[in-house]
Amino acid sequence: MNRTRNNPLADDLVRPLFHTSVWFYGAVLVLATVVLAGAAAWGYQLWYGIGVAGINWPVFWGFYLTNFVFWIGISHAGTLISAILRLVNARWRRPVTRCAEVITVFALMIGALFPIIHLGRPWLAFWLAPYPSAREIWPNFRSPLVWDFFAINTYLTGSLMFLLLPMIPDFALVRDRSTGWRKRIYGALALGWQGTTKQWHRLEAGMQIMAIAIIPVAVSVHTIVSFDFSMATVPMWHSTIFGPYFVAGAIFSGIAALIIAMAALRKLLHLESYLHPVHFENLGKLLLLMSLLWAYFVFAERLTVWYGNEPSEMAVFWATQRGDYAPLYWTMVICNFVIPLPILALRQLRTIAGTVVASFAVLVGMWLERFLIIVPSLGHKQLPYSWSSYAPQPVEIIIMIATFAAMVLLYMLFSKFVPIISIWEMKVGNQPHPPVVTTDEDELAGLWRARP
Amino acid sequence: MKAVYALYTDPHAAQRAVDELRALGVAERDIVVMSSEPFEEYEFSHRDKATWLHWIAGGGGLTGLILGYLLTSTTQKLWPLPTSGMPIVATWPNTIVVFEMTMLGAILATVTALLITASLPGRLSRLYDPAITEGYILVGVDGPSEELAARLDRALASVAGGQVKTIA
Amino acid sequence: MAHRWGMVVDLDRCTGCEACVTACHAENNIPTVGAEEAARGRAMHWIRVERYWEGEFPEARVKFRPVLCQQCDNAPCEAVCPTYASHQTDEGLNAQVYNRCIGTRYCANACMYNVRFFNFFHPQWEKPLQLQLNPDVSLREAGVMEKCTFCVQRIKAAKSGAKAEKRELVDGALQPACAQACPAGALVFGDLNDPESRVARLAESPRGSKLLEEHGAEPKITYLQRQGWHEPDAQ
Repeated sequence: MNRTRNNPLADDLVRPLFHTSVWFYGAVLVLATVVLAGAAAWGYQLWYGIGVAGINWPVFWGFYLTNFVFWIGISHAGTLISAILRLVNARWRRPVTRCAEVITVFALMIGALFPIIHLGRPWLAFWLAPYPSAREIWPNFRSPLVWDFFAINTYLTGSLMFLLLPMIPDFALVRDRSTGWRKRIYGALALGWQGTTKQWHRLEAGMQIMAIAIIPVAVSVHTIVSFDFSMATVPMWHSTIFGPYFVAGAIFSGIAALIIAMAALRKLLHLESYLHPVHFENLGKLLLLMSLLWAYFVFAERLTVWYGNEPSEMAVFWATQRGDYAPLYWTMVICNFVIPLPILALRQLRTIAGTVVASFAVLVGMWLERFLIIVPSLGHKQLPYSWSSYAPQPVEIIIMIATFAAMVLLYMLFSKFVPIISIWEMKVGNQPHPPVVTTDEDELAGLWRARP
Repeated sequence: MKAVYALYTDPHAAQRAVDELRALGVAERDIVVMSSEPFEEYEFSHRDKATWLHWIAGGGGLTGLILGYLLTSTTQKLWPLPTSGMPIVATWPNTIVVFEMTMLGAILATVTALLITASLPGRLSRLYDPAITEGYILVGVDGPSEELAARLDRALASVAGGQVKTIA
Repeated sequence: MAHRWGMVVDLDRCTGCEACVTACHAENNIPTVGAEEAARGRAMHWIRVERYWEGEFPEARVKFRPVLCQQCDNAPCEAVCPTYASHQTDEGLNAQVYNRCIGTRYCANACMYNVRFFNFFHPQWEKPLQLQLNPDVSLREAGVMEKCTFCVQRIKAAKSGAKAEKRELVDGALQPACAQACPAGALVFGDLNDPESRVARLAESPRGSKLLEEHGAEPKITYLQRQGWHEPDAQ
């Protein structure tokens, strides 16, 4: 039930929960079909064997690992925006935080699927978990894949908490506005939140700690994903630059995904009064910064390789620069650098539409970058007799498209059941400037003893 | 037993109401203030601010660190399998797992302590009004004596801009 | 002293006939993947003969060498396996435990010699070829990595036979299938810790070098350089 009284903010942001158009159902149907097709493709692969994918000897990792790194990279959007901007008290973050955090959680879940999909015996994937098994053997903690398990699970737990905790007051709002089954469900989700001063302080303190904790976790996650590559003596993998390079690339692709998501939400949910062009401008400036940072890392890595002229590394270098992978490589450079740079640097072009165009280019470019890190190196290792190439098979392509559909579907469903912009944080942002706290008030504040 | 409270739209009015209740002699911990957003700049919001949450988070991190260290080093010694010429207890690779366990410990401790100290999940107390989530600030007392209730009623009504209500 | 199994490949004797490849397939139940899969680059030859062509006809020359698992002391494939399916034994072998393998294929990526192979599909033998399977070697299923084991089943059999007969192992009696089949005697297998063994003496040869030695994997297979032909001076 909508009560249009003195709370237009809540009215606007809660409207999608109570009103659904027929387009929504249609879109959900289409997306769900695509996701089901992906599930069917995976079932096909499970039944017939992973040989139905395009991987071979020695290119043992292909599309699935590319998508894994890509999605984990996308998941770095939420952390940067929510946690870092929260810590520096940037006011423009408020309408953006939940959009970003949702991307993180769903991108992580989708990304974490791919290590299971790419396994030869995925029904044994649980062997990566440390538990006392009847086989009396534990995971090998020296393996970067086990590090992945810990890092992604920690990040997923942290991001989920980071997303869910500030949702509690908004769930309380929806609870108080609904009746019947909705009231029961949102009442349960709100955990009995009342909004006492104690609860607000605990929530804010908890969010502060989470923001501080989640940033090193996010940095570690993509560093550890990069260690999947840099720990092996594969030419152009065994580079110390991979940790920072991957983290920068992740933030880069994450911001691009966030811009696209925000633009879509703004259009479809009519959030023009909450997501202003200035938000896109600011994110566009961050995207520009990340594009330059990405270009810096790529330049540093490639110059080092070219200068060293080590034969096996140069084979990979030329394969990407001038050889079979050159079309993909130069497309990547254009998408990640040439297209975004003018759009994001020139204020006239840094509009909402401009940043969205740049973001799409960046997503394409960053996906290609993951592919070009994995496949050319594996195809050109130290013994040239075993050099090979890789071509994706329909199974891999269908599953990849299905994960994109799954992301959009999950996002749409989320925005249908939870206010996509954090209502209470918007209200705090709209508060007038604080009055001066007098010494009397200070003394009164001291009346409250320290208690947890 | 009942509750007496008032709803205000203006935080200044809520502040005055809290001061009135204090003037009446109501104990600090009996004064209930609820709102749909934190009002950091107002004194009535400064109650309950001090917290041990940071220490709990640190303790959780320490626990995670110790557990991570024990997990990696102990299991590596249980069935020692040499790999790649690395030592059986591989300290440097283990630091990564230890780090993740530390952060996980801190995060889980924070969330658990947050929920417990904020009394979540919990039942809505008797003293609650759905108008709070619409932007009103509730100032009231739960379970006052009959005689106090009448004085509370007057005190809260004396602050302009509020609606005084009682829960029977 | 514990055994330390090693091998010497004499490139001067090797003719590239690939008898070793065939023998290895027979001994270790390695599936033939079929023409289509082989064209996709999924053939599984635990030992293979690599060929490199130089020059154009009629001056074309081919250089070839057998490449098999080097049983590295510092094997890059071992630490990256999340389930300890790849680890070092106390006799210096790099063990591949099929039951622990979940098929992440990281070990294959880490191996610079590309000597690890993956069962992309369930291996199949058309009847009556299943009758020639070696009962001493377990069959692998789809999704599992495999590679040369220095015919560990033969090593185990020889050791337990020697123990039962209360004698030492005789150098040269224990041979993996490839060494046994090689008509030129190019593959020499034995205990590197036995200074009298043929392999230990040949490993000291001045013609000896290790494959990709600079990468630090410390392989236990020594390749003896081919003695080149001298072109007669032009008349």
